[in-house]
Amino acid sequence: MESKKTSSKIGVYICECGPNIADNIDIDTIIARLPSLEEYQNKELVVKRYKLLCSNEGKEFLENEIRENEFTHLVVAACSPRDHDTTFINVCKKTQLNPYLYKMVNIREQCAWIIPDKEKATEKAIRYIRAATSRVLKQSELIEKQLDIDPGVLVIGGGISGIETALSLAGKERKVYLVEKSSELGGKMNMFKELLPRQNGNRDIIEKKIEEVKKNESITIFLETELESAVGFLGNFEISLKNIKNNQPGAEFTVGAIVAATGFRLTDTGKLAQYKYSKESEVYTSLEIENMIKRDGKIVLKSGKEPESVGLIHCVGREEKGYCSQICCNYMLKFISFLQQQSDSIKIKDFYRDMCLPHKEDQGFFEEVKNKGADFIRISDVKIKGTHVEYTPIGKDKKEVDVDMVILAPAMEPEKGTEELAELFNVPLSETNFFQEEHQQLNPVETSIEGIFIVGACHGPAGISESMLQAQAASGKISTRLIPGKKIVPEVKVSEIMEDFCMGCRTCMDICSYGAITFDGELSVCVVNEAICRGCGNCAGSCPSGAIRAKHFTSAQIYQEIIEAIR
Amino acid sequence: MKPEGKDNFTPKIVGYLCNWCTYAAADMAGSSKLEIAPELTVIKVMCSSRIDFNMVLTTFFNGADGILIGGCHPGDCHYDKGNYYTRRRFALFKDIMKILKLDPERLQLSWISASEGNRYAEVVNSFTEKIKKLGPNPLNGNPYF
Amino acid sequence: MNSKDKILVIGAGIAGMEASLLLANAGRSVLLVEKLSLTGGNTIKNEDSFPNLECSTCMIAPIQQDILQNPNIEVMTLSTVKKVEGEAGNFNVTIDKKARYVSLVDCIGCGMCYEPCPVTLKNEWEENLSEKKAIYVPCEGSLPNVPAIDPEHCLQLNGKKSCNACVEACMFGAIDLSEKDEEVQVDVGAVIVATGFDMFDAGKISNLGYGKFPGVYTSMEFERLFASNGPTSGELVLRGGGESPRSIAIIHCVGRKELGYCSGVCCMDSFKYSHFLKNKLPDAKVYNIYSDICLPNKTYQIFYNKIKGEGGGFIFQSSPEDIEIKESSGKLGVNLTDRNGAAESLDVDMVILACAIVPGKESENLAESLGIELDGKGFFLTRKEDVGTVETSKAGIFVVGCAEGPKDIQNSVIQAEAAVGKAILIGEINGK
Ligand SMILES: Cc1cc2nc3c(=O)[nH]c(=O)nc-3n(C[C@H](O)[C@H](O)[C@H](O)COP(=O)(O)OP(=O)(O)OC[C@H]3O[C@@H](n4cnc5c(N)ncnc54)[C@H](O)[C@@H]3O)c2cc1C
Ligand code: SF4
Ligand code: SF4
Ligand code: SF4
Ligand code: SF4
Ligand code: SF4
Repeated sequence: MESKKTSSKIGVYICECGPNIADNIDIDTIIARLPSLEEYQNKELVVKRYKLLCSNEGKEFLENEIRENEFTHLVVAACSPRDHDTTFINVCKKTQLNPYLYKMVNIREQCAWIIPDKEKATEKAIRYIRAATSRVLKQSELIEKQLDIDPGVLVIGGGISGIETALSLAGKERKVYLVEKSSELGGKMNMFKELLPRQNGNRDIIEKKIEEVKKNESITIFLETELESAVGFLGNFEISLKNIKNNQPGAEFTVGAIVAATGFRLTDTGKLAQYKYSKESEVYTSLEIENMIKRDGKIVLKSGKEPESVGLIHCVGREEKGYCSQICCNYMLKFISFLQQQSDSIKIKDFYRDMCLPHKEDQGFFEEVKNKGADFIRISDVKIKGTHVEYTPIGKDKKEVDVDMVILAPAMEPEKGTEELAELFNVPLSETNFFQEEHQQLNPVETSIEGIFIVGACHGPAGISESMLQAQAASGKISTRLIPGKKIVPEVKVSEIMEDFCMGCRTCMDICSYGAITFDGELSVCVVNEAICRGCGNCAGSCPSGAIRAKHFTSAQIYQEIIEAIR
Repeated sequence: MKPEGKDNFTPKIVGYLCNWCTYAAADMAGSSKLEIAPELTVIKVMCSSRIDFNMVLTTFFNGADGILIGGCHPGDCHYDKGNYYTRRRFALFKDIMKILKLDPERLQLSWISASEGNRYAEVVNSFTEKIKKLGPNPLNGNPYF
Repeated sequence: MNSKDKILVIGAGIAGMEASLLLANAGRSVLLVEKLSLTGGNTIKNEDSFPNLECSTCMIAPIQQDILQNPNIEVMTLSTVKKVEGEAGNFNVTIDKKARYVSLVDCIGCGMCYEPCPVTLKNEWEENLSEKKAIYVPCEGSLPNVPAIDPEHCLQLNGKKSCNACVEACMFGAIDLSEKDEEVQVDVGAVIVATGFDMFDAGKISNLGYGKFPGVYTSMEFERLFASNGPTSGELVLRGGGESPRSIAIIHCVGRKELGYCSGVCCMDSFKYSHFLKNKLPDAKVYNIYSDICLPNKTYQIFYNKIKGEGGGFIFQSSPEDIEIKESSGKLGVNLTDRNGAAESLDVDMVILACAIVPGKESENLAESLGIELDGKGFFLTRKEDVGTVETSKAGIFVVGCAEGPKDIQNSVIQAEAAVGKAILIGEINGK
């Protein structure tokens, strides 16, 4: 074998998979043919078969073979990599062989099981193995990096979601910075006295939580403050704040994650033609009513007198906004229940379209309120002129009624500044202008930028309970990823930009969904941040000058595969 | 009677499959033991958006008779929007084929999700049939025509 | 690692899997106990999930693979929790582990053992729309891809006849008919209950004709009928007849009145079916028969509007309790009260009942073993003193997903992540 001595030595291991591969692929033919092929002429090649490589004995066998033969490259021809790629990567990890110098070939699902003709299946298997051996020689070692992290967290917004996030995360080894643009903590909940019956176990929850936040030594509160800039990635974001009152630069620090909890506001009813009213009329938005209950302890007219009749109108601005705000039906029921307790003579007319009762306790609440005598009218249309209500009950003719007081449930929309914040973070907004999740179902409280989270009403219309759960969810994700004292290991199969080839067109920058690419103004080239990149290869597919190497999926590697695939 | 000469032509076809959907569908087709045309050789990419001009050209210049690109259904991309880019690039790939005087039908893009093992088999088989009808790649592996 | 650092997750649906994976990736060891022979729960029964109509297998299978391959997670299938003693940080758990009779290590999932088995059974997992053998995987693509044997029906195991056919067919010696059920004892620090839900039994409302008329389907039956890895490979053909329906009525809120709550997902599910049907059978007439539309997410109304735009009737029924389904000469008749209070009737080939989500059958037993409470409806109860929590009345035990009440995938995952944040604080210092 002296003459064949080169630096690379390739092992090709073919699994019989019991009869699954062996019965339909002539493994001996492969073993006999491979070494005679031209591309192996000046290389060392070991080709062997084994009955079941994924079994414990199989794994041990393979491990010993890699060690004893001192392979530089390894190909395993067996089942689907979806079943056992990890198995063989782990075998490599136990040896000197870098797992990125190994490749698995699927000769079961893609040959033995789908090609009934044994000869053809064998030919096909040879084709796949040749493609893989050629490819593997072009693969390069990739080495996992360990990055230090800062376990600290920045929370933007001091409403219930922000407060809950801060309290869930703050601790001896984790600092939390809580930034609020107004002059006090608490958000909208400061206006509430009564919660829903399913929540009333803890009426003064917000006061208690604000106290806890203030007492917690690991939480630093910044009032009347905004975020000025945030750059970095999971584990390492550089933050600078801005003092709103004097428009001066504020504190600067590093955190590992950011949680946006910037909440909502009610849509401007003045912009909706069918809900025109003057400031003097007895028409109130829901938040005004909450405030009234908190301030006066009851719902009264401007004169201080109790109303004799109240009309409540749901879904104000819903069609215009394009979504249901989820919580308004519930708080309208809360108001009705409050009015019913205040006096049993108040006539209540509730104008609704669909009753949205998504929590398991909600329908019971609705039925209770309804049975106490409130008049629920399902409408297809409604319009007010002051407290004169014109409405069309579903399937009936238009009607009108005068009431003493009208309460509107305007749609929730994201707080002012949400768009700017999204831009600052480089995260997308959803069609409805709330922040968008990385994955609506599987990663619902994180954005497309790893390490930036969204909770509460800025994530979408949400009640207090849902907001708190989202806050806890973000805390859960953060505490599993930013463990004090532990490092993180980012993906290594990432893309890199070759400076010399990049012409600075920034095509790749717009394409990357994860904000992994930035532009270096000085050199006029783009740069991939490897800590953020997830290795999809989209940028490599887009670059007009071929400047991007998708590691482990480089053009050179794929070309080798192509050549053998169609030889 | 079939057109002569093409009956015993064995085409060479490359299937670029995304790791998350279509590759998984191929697995499901395999474990359902569906019969699939042996002419297509699979090359796995993480996302169909990795596929660029050079890959398409290299594949045809080296003599492939057809290319099948398989990705997740629009909206299902594991990497958010990758397959939307694939779809756009695909239109450009087709234009390039016209310039090369290659029948654009030799390049096909199919969305096949992980549970669609049956559909994977159907798509591969019908694409293979189509390429057989189209006959050998006229570039014949010669990049300089 | 200290045993009390281990976390027990009960139920391998989306919520249980998400919780397990996050904890395992943080270095915690997890015991994931699942009563069925496969992971994935209810989500993997769906072809596509709303609102993005993303293929469920594409979404979920990578998570199932991760769960099975993660060295920090031990998955115990065909197992249920029998007893839990102790307190937060120090629970002793007794698990009933049923024999699978097939080794998860040795079996390679080749499927050679099915054919020789002489016993054919209804496949419950496929809503009885297909058959399986006594040695079975519930569907193509089950994970782990390893069969189990049904001991009640296996001839050898139930003692009716001696049989060894599957054992002989298996070239890997993976089948062991002498395996016994076990009782396993484990110490854990925290417990996350993620046992999910069952579906309302539509047969309880006799007016709807379920079980009487073959053209009447439950929503879960329709999900499987539509699934490309399901009993008909996704071909929409009616039970028995083998024909495609030309007109379909989807009835919302089935069981809502009886149960006293809205399930929050059935409207969206129904719209999804409407879309599926319009796509596969463009000429078919599709009717959504509803009384309230519930769209509890910022994007759901967009989906609803899109479905409305695809055509198909949306019929508001003003008196949902009066709906009745009849059959005459093979056609189904849906009698309902329309928006004006007038009687209306529709002739259709197929009816899909959008059934309510109900508590899992074993919730009561499990609650008792865990020493936690259920609410009046049979779902697990979270701490009453809290406004938004996944904690139960017993410290160290958390409940997430539909086990706590009906909800969509998004909210199930949110709760799972919330529970992870709490559970990780037990037994180990994590920043605190
Ligand atoms: C009339 C009404 C009644 C309701 N009743 C109930 C009920 O009974 N039960 C229930 O569950 N839900 C109820 N809700 C819903 C409830 O109000 C919300 O679920 C909850 O307030 C959401 O909390 P949040 O922290 O996300 O938002 P918010 O309470 O809006 O808090 C956000 C905070 O962030 C701050 N902020 C915003 N932008 C920035 C920025 N750029 N930088 C720094 N700080 C910023 C804001 O000033 C605010 O303090 C009701 C809603 C309304 C409108
Ligand atoms: S919660 Fe009720 S009032 Fe609010 S938008 Fe939805 S249906 Fe309308
Ligand atoms: S697309 Fe290519 S050339 Fe353009 S900026 Fe990115 S790396 Fe540079
Ligand atoms: S490979 Fe994907 S994630 Fe990485 S930089 Fe390129 S586009 Fe972004
Ligand atoms: S032993 Fe049981 S499972 Fe196996 S083939 Fe016989 S009846 Fe079927
Ligand atoms: S038990 Fe044996 S025959 Fe059956 S699937 Fe597993 S390995 Fe194959």
